[in-house]
Amino acid sequence: MTGGKLGLVFFPAFDWAITPTHPEREERLLYTRDQIEEEGLLDLPGIREYKPRLADRIDADRVHIGVPDILSLITDAHLVSAGGAITAAEAVLKREVERSFALVRPPGHHAMRVVHGTRGFCTINIEAVMIEYLRRHYGIRRVAVVDTDVHHGDGTQDIFYHDPDTLFISFHQDGRTLYPGSGFPEELGSPGALVSTVNLPLPPGTTDQGLSSVLDNFILPVLDDFQPEIIINSAGQDNHYSDPLANMAITAQGYARLAEKLQADIAVLEGGYSIEAALPYVNVGIILAMAGLDYSRVVEPDIAKCPRQPAATTGYIDNLIKEWRQIWANREKLKREAIAKAGDFWQRRRQIYYDDSGISERQQETVRLCPKCQGYLTVDTEAEGYSLGYQSAFATVVNRDSCSACRSAAYDAAHQAKKQGRRQHCYVQDKQQDILIKL
Amino acid sequence: MLLGIDVGGTFTDAVVLKNGSILAQAKHPTTHGKLLDGVLAVMDTILRGMDATRLERVALSTTIVTNALVEGKTDRVNLMLMTGPGMDYRGLLPAEPVLLSGYIDHRGREAAPPDTKAAVAAARDIGGIYAIAGKFSVRNPAHEQQVAASIRKTASPLHVSLSSEISGSLNFWRRTNSSYYNAAVWRRFGEFAGAVEEALKRRGIHAPVHILKADGGTMPLPAARQLPVEAIFTGPAASVLGIMALAEPDGEAVSLDVGGTTTDIALWRNGLPLFAQRGARIAGYPTSVQAFRLKSIGIGGDSFVAREADGAIRIGPERKGPAMAVGGDQPTLSDAMIVAGTAAFGDARLAAEAMRQVARPGETEAETAWSILTQAAVEVCRAIREMISEQASEPVYKVEDVIKQNPVKPDWVIGIGGAAPGLAPLVAEKLGCRCRIPENAAVANAVGAAVAKPTIEITLRADTSQGSYTVAELGLAEKLPARNMRREEVRELAARCLRERAAQIGVEAKDIAVVYEEEFNLIRGFSTTGKIITCRLQLKPGVLYTQSHGEGCI
Repeated sequence: MTGGKLGLVFFPAFDWAITPTHPEREERLLYTRDQIEEEGLLDLPGIREYKPRLADRIDADRVHIGVPDILSLITDAHLVSAGGAITAAEAVLKREVERSFALVRPPGHHAMRVVHGTRGFCTINIEAVMIEYLRRHYGIRRVAVVDTDVHHGDGTQDIFYHDPDTLFISFHQDGRTLYPGSGFPEELGSPGALVSTVNLPLPPGTTDQGLSSVLDNFILPVLDDFQPEIIINSAGQDNHYSDPLANMAITAQGYARLAEKLQADIAVLEGGYSIEAALPYVNVGIILAMAGLDYSRVVEPDIAKCPRQPAATTGYIDNLIKEWRQIWANREKLKREAIAKAGDFWQRRRQIYYDDSGISERQQETVRLCPKCQGYLTVDTEAEGYSLGYQSAFATVVNRDSCSACRSAAYDAAHQAKKQGRRQHCYVQDKQQDILIKL
Repeated sequence: MLLGIDVGGTFTDAVVLKNGSILAQAKHPTTHGKLLDGVLAVMDTILRGMDATRLERVALSTTIVTNALVEGKTDRVNLMLMTGPGMDYRGLLPAEPVLLSGYIDHRGREAAPPDTKAAVAAARDIGGIYAIAGKFSVRNPAHEQQVAASIRKTASPLHVSLSSEISGSLNFWRRTNSSYYNAAVWRRFGEFAGAVEEALKRRGIHAPVHILKADGGTMPLPAARQLPVEAIFTGPAASVLGIMALAEPDGEAVSLDVGGTTTDIALWRNGLPLFAQRGARIAGYPTSVQAFRLKSIGIGGDSFVAREADGAIRIGPERKGPAMAVGGDQPTLSDAMIVAGTAAFGDARLAAEAMRQVARPGETEAETAWSILTQAAVEVCRAIREMISEQASEPVYKVEDVIKQNPVKPDWVIGIGGAAPGLAPLVAEKLGCRCRIPENAAVANAVGAAVAKPTIEITLRADTSQGSYTVAELGLAEKLPARNMRREEVRELAARCLRERAAQIGVEAKDIAVVYEEEFNLIRGFSTTGKIITCRLQLKPGVLYTQSHGEGCI
């Protein structure tokens, strides 16, 4: 292995918690801090530590439509965490380091485009904020996100569901057995971006063996095909065999090998709640692997407790890979068929639950499938909750490459909704002007 | 009466202070190879005609440890490590280690017992000096102690350094390197200490002897014998302490020690110099030895000055000889100061000749001198700004600390060293600060050594859910006296430990300061099972008295 330089943004937010006993609490990265400091990792010449910058409001507004506004929904910690991801990414793009790891909290991958509150411990999507920042300031277009958290990255999927330039790949514990209950292979993206969303639900009990099979036989070849300019790893660590919130059986060695093979440009921490038995070892493994250093000695003290992968699981995973290889091979054809079937507009209705805020959202998205551009999007949303009461909003999104007709149509739709007054808040998120307008 | 001696690269300086005023000063060339000869010579000179029995303390800032390392006069060390899971340290250490099985985890729990038999079997017959380090030994020193005990029982070692006693901070790599160097210089330092004690006894001096440390504090000689690695890099520490005694920086300040070839810059906040975030490096290896945050740039009085082909003035970084004013053959920064009237020594006509050598056509000598000095000040200012921004961009781990950006904004520039009067005021003007150049700046280092206070640091970590606490530096791992201790109670327990340690080595435990504290609730299964409270206390570096606050201020 050749040692490449790794940028590390370590931000454990020792003064921030969702609630005192919540898994997202001050203590979460304490033992990780202990292990990183005790190892002396930050003194290695191949590792450079960065202080996170604060993200600006516009960085969040570029991605999210916060109702009534994003700043009223988040704390400073979210701006530091998103800013930490941006800091990590800029270190790579400025070529100060070869790759980087934003080991930050709070996490973000369950935060969707529209935000009424906190769900799955996430309020703003820190990877999405980072990606859109890079697109705005560094002219990056093609991005691949590989979400290796045990929970389906439904927020990231939602934000990029209509974007053919973002390949979102998530493997996770099967949604039939775990929060948030989504992430099935049929969720492929809207017709204009079909098969740029790739979901690999894995059975509970999947081990390093299953992980490495999915990676070698599907994810790595797909990344080769897609040819992204940058690869982002949403590096959740709750697939670990000791995680209290899930049921998988990945080890620190498995995570380190994953990091080594994936060669992500930027990794961003997501979940991981086995704060003593897993996180210290998993993070040291990932850091060493990303820095191109030997990680073979990173072994959990209780490694004997890690179960073996049942034969049935191996068979299930092999089959899943086979099916997915077929979908991937036929992706252009599938996309053409989906567009033809949808016609001018594609629509979906959903219920979205915010577990941390106790909010239920009803949402309808409409995508204009324009032959000249990526079209535009309208979102109609109503949310209800015990402490929230009721709030509603209508938003339209002008894409980076929306043609002038789509652009006007998006503005018209928003103005009309405002005039009708059926919704309390109306927005235009204009990615060409880099502005979120509240009408 | 306090005697301070600073062994520098060129001269060994001594001062005798009484109530803050300098009673006497003396100078002797440093006797490289036999440091003690120069120390004793300068001591005999300064004490001539004085009643040596009235000395209350003798404090030494010496290069003995640095020299032992530079000259390779160190001992071979049996380096024994219990690395546990994690990084591979092979090739990253100053010596090939013996790796032992067994380790402690991050909470201080034994994950696997140490193989003491293997330690005994691996001990090589290379002089009986050992350094033992275990991962997370600061959370539980038992493994290091067990290995040391079996070595002591079977191998009759001369010395054993334990990493947990050398530093109470996390960072196994740094502790390992520190304990290696501590062991490697132990014998040499011991010989020096013995000779100093013997020589003082012969002169009828019975005052306690203190050794200056890199952190700007002192420690009594007997304690220093066990922790000689702390006595490395004391020159800059003496200088910073000298500034504290002579100039009493208040608020935020930047200090410049303008020497012959370099200017050492330090940042000050609330009257105290800022520390480097991590420890010092020895021979390139990171250690846990604490040191001040210093930046050294290659601009000093003897820096050679030239006019580049493109017309720019170049200053330093090398020294090509003394100023032309005192017989050198190349123009220097000092020559510019002499012409500008901010320094007065040597032959002014030769200094003027130096300016003519680097003048632009049609420029007067004074104009040339001022453009050189301005250029030097600009470069020093750039280094100061870099240092401030490096300090401000150091990672922090709390939201509050990210929001409250708090870079150093100096109000004062303090200059010491021979060439400070020529440079510090210009730097101050550019930074919009006031400037202070204390008197007696030439012997600042010896004054610094003379008045430096003893420092001790201890780190108490209480884990109330396990019902235990450790103080690594003292080798303590005990049961907590009560359940559910609060932070204030833990702090008081730590203060008690610090006072005991101070009494043990014969130091007065005044001005105990909290260096660092953190407190975390342990939540298991949605309920609180205890707290982890860490409290690091220190007898802070400082001065016994300052120039202005002693009697008979100079």
